[in-house]
Amino acid sequence: MKVLKITPERCTGCLRCEIACSYVQVGAFQPAKSVIRVSPFEGHTSYAPYTCTQCAEGWCMTACPVGAITINAAGAKDVLDDRCVGCKLCTIACPYGTVFYDASTRKAFKCNLCGGDPACVHACPTAAIEYEEVATRDWLHDFAAERASHVLATNGGRR
Amino acid sequence: MSPVTLSAPRQVGKPQPALPGGYAGQLLRVDLTKRKAWAEPWTPDEMRELIGGAGLGAMILYRETAKGKGNVSWDHPDNRLVLGTGPLAGLPVWGTGGLTVVTIGALTNGPTSTQANGFFGTNLKYCGYDAIIVQGQAKDWVYLYIDDDRIEIRDAKSYLGKDTWETQDALSRDLGLTGHQLSVYSIGPAGEHLVRFAAIQGDYGHVASKNGVGAVMGKKKLKAVAIVKGTKALRAADPRGLIQCADDIAHDLKTDPSARSLYEYGTLPGVVNLSKMGALPIRNYTTSLTGDVDMKSWEAPRLREGFDHRGHQCNACGMHHCHMSVIRQGPYKGKIVDEPEYEGWSGAGWTIGATDQSAVAWLNTQTDRACVDVNEFGWVIGWVMEGLEKGWLTKQQVGFDLKWGDVAGADRLLQMINRREGFGDLLAEGVKRASEKLGGEAAKAAIYTGKGASPRGHDHRARWEEMLDTATSSTATMETGNPVHQTELGLPARINPFDGVEVAKLVAGCRGRRAFEDSLGICIFTTRTRLENICRALSAATGWYYTVAEAMRFGRRTAAINRATALRCGLTPNLEVPSFRYGSTPHDGPAAGQAVSAQWEKMVDTWYKEVGYDRKGGKPLPQTLKDLGLDWLSKELWGKKA
Repeated sequence: MKVLKITPERCTGCLRCEIACSYVQVGAFQPAKSVIRVSPFEGHTSYAPYTCTQCAEGWCMTACPVGAITINAAGAKDVLDDRCVGCKLCTIACPYGTVFYDASTRKAFKCNLCGGDPACVHACPTAAIEYEEVATRDWLHDFAAERASHVLATNGGRR
Repeated sequence: MSPVTLSAPRQVGKPQPALPGGYAGQLLRVDLTKRKAWAEPWTPDEMRELIGGAGLGAMILYRETAKGKGNVSWDHPDNRLVLGTGPLAGLPVWGTGGLTVVTIGALTNGPTSTQANGFFGTNLKYCGYDAIIVQGQAKDWVYLYIDDDRIEIRDAKSYLGKDTWETQDALSRDLGLTGHQLSVYSIGPAGEHLVRFAAIQGDYGHVASKNGVGAVMGKKKLKAVAIVKGTKALRAADPRGLIQCADDIAHDLKTDPSARSLYEYGTLPGVVNLSKMGALPIRNYTTSLTGDVDMKSWEAPRLREGFDHRGHQCNACGMHHCHMSVIRQGPYKGKIVDEPEYEGWSGAGWTIGATDQSAVAWLNTQTDRACVDVNEFGWVIGWVMEGLEKGWLTKQQVGFDLKWGDVAGADRLLQMINRREGFGDLLAEGVKRASEKLGGEAAKAAIYTGKGASPRGHDHRARWEEMLDTATSSTATMETGNPVHQTELGLPARINPFDGVEVAKLVAGCRGRRAFEDSLGICIFTTRTRLENICRALSAATGWYYTVAEAMRFGRRTAAINRATALRCGLTPNLEVPSFRYGSTPHDGPAAGQAVSAQWEKMVDTWYKEVGYDRKGGKPLPQTLKDLGLDWLSKELWGKKA
């Protein structure tokens, strides 16, 4: 699948990705609701954007007690708003800290690769974020992928 | 059966138009005397009339700083410090974190409009405010803390004496925030000690430098403004159109021949390019020749290669302009500095005879940290160096010897100015006041305008349009700015730069664009596209249909309001002259023999005629004001008979 390829050396910390992301997320420019976040390093001199890696393990999906996280057409783990009960388990389960909770909607939200056309990629002026087909080198991959499909097939083993 | 007629819902009061997109919708008013802060709404009609930034600030200054027939002075508690942004700030258009500072400044004691970028506008607008208006004076040092609806005037004693970078480091640490989560605009020791050319600096390297705005902040005992990145939403009337327009502007900046070098290297190419025109100020205007310096090493790519580079862009910006660099060699090895702008290379470099790039880059950041205007710094230090060389200043007066190019010595003097120690106390008054006090040869060597403004870091003897603009300006720095795509306005692409009449017509013709740009919350470098594109972006954001004609009219309206305030401050046309040295004739270099003084009167006369102002009194003529839709101002300036 195509993934977000991030090259931190190119990031200048302009935060344009956050603005674009929030527009897709909530229909307004509101970086607080962005699911890609730029972190500073080395004081204020380096920056890197960071978002969901769409990890094959899908910890969020496994943790969700109501099967509200699924895999969308782009291959991204996606939260189904009408199923999410806002328990925040996914935000705890995620080892990367890339699932968020919105107190105003009482739902979890995360990167869903904009359904296959990520806005952050278009927004980045320095090509620090690209959307590419790259080889996956995760040693857990096969096992994880199999487990993910099992979780999906059984709807989280709950229904 | 007869149809049922439904009556329309009963209207209560006057219907309010919806908030235009792009706006946060509130102004933040801070009264330091009363230690109170509150949000003030402003109406969609006011937004359309004043836009924001420079336009909004000009009106606030005109309305709120009058005192009898005159005006309050820069150090009066009733002076306003407007920290404004605009409707494009925080949106995806490149370079939109803009801050416009509007106040009665310390250098001219008249109005100011000076800009910085970074993340000020972004963070402020996501907190829900379009501008901050500071009034009054605090009893003890404070800083302003803004986090969405939480506004606090906090004790700032522990930050006193810290330079601007240290202040931001300390505030970020104390508040537990990193990177752009916190935007800090502060003054350094210079502002604390009311140095007349003190500046306001923010987000490591973005300086609103003109007219001693840092001294105004210091007088109000406001050390810093710390703005947490807010959580609120900004809407655009046509968000997809806005993104499309932002991308079109970006494409223009990347590919248009007049903007491309700026996209690639920021203002770095200025050094070599201006030296070829004789417009690089060298050794306090004593020469226009670069001498035995290898100018190849000053080409933009070479300048950048000399340092380790990291991008340090402003909001949503893709220009390769603002950078952080690390010095690779020499006594300042390993120091992190803000890559000097062209004006840093000139003010902290060529003007004072310094051409060691590592040393100049370090000194430039020292001026940002101490927080003074690097242009005025250059004119002050260059003037001292020339005086010591020629003997109209002595080692005893200054306290030590200072030769051309002595960067460590210049820094020593900077620290004395900062704290107003010894000779630094006189220099802290700026070069105009210092030179007038010493008189004689010293007075003849200083570079300034009659109103007391500090020229930008060029040799304007080879750039008359900027000299005319700086001298006639009501805002203590270039009011019109460089022509950008001026053919769009029906102006010629090229003129004879040494023909006073042509120069005056070009400056008058471009008048307005800059004030418009500075009202949007956007950087002047990312507006180097056709004005039509900027208007498109504004229209997409706000939902207005904004045309080039309206933009120019808006800018001229703002300029007229600033002019009215400036006149009230006593900045009259008789002061619209360059100082002796500033208006002298270069004796060498590419512009040798071009005497601006010979054409000065004719140039100013032409400018007045073109802009429609009264040459004698300086006031915009009633017809001009009427054309701009400023009938109310006409009545106030000319009385009822107009």
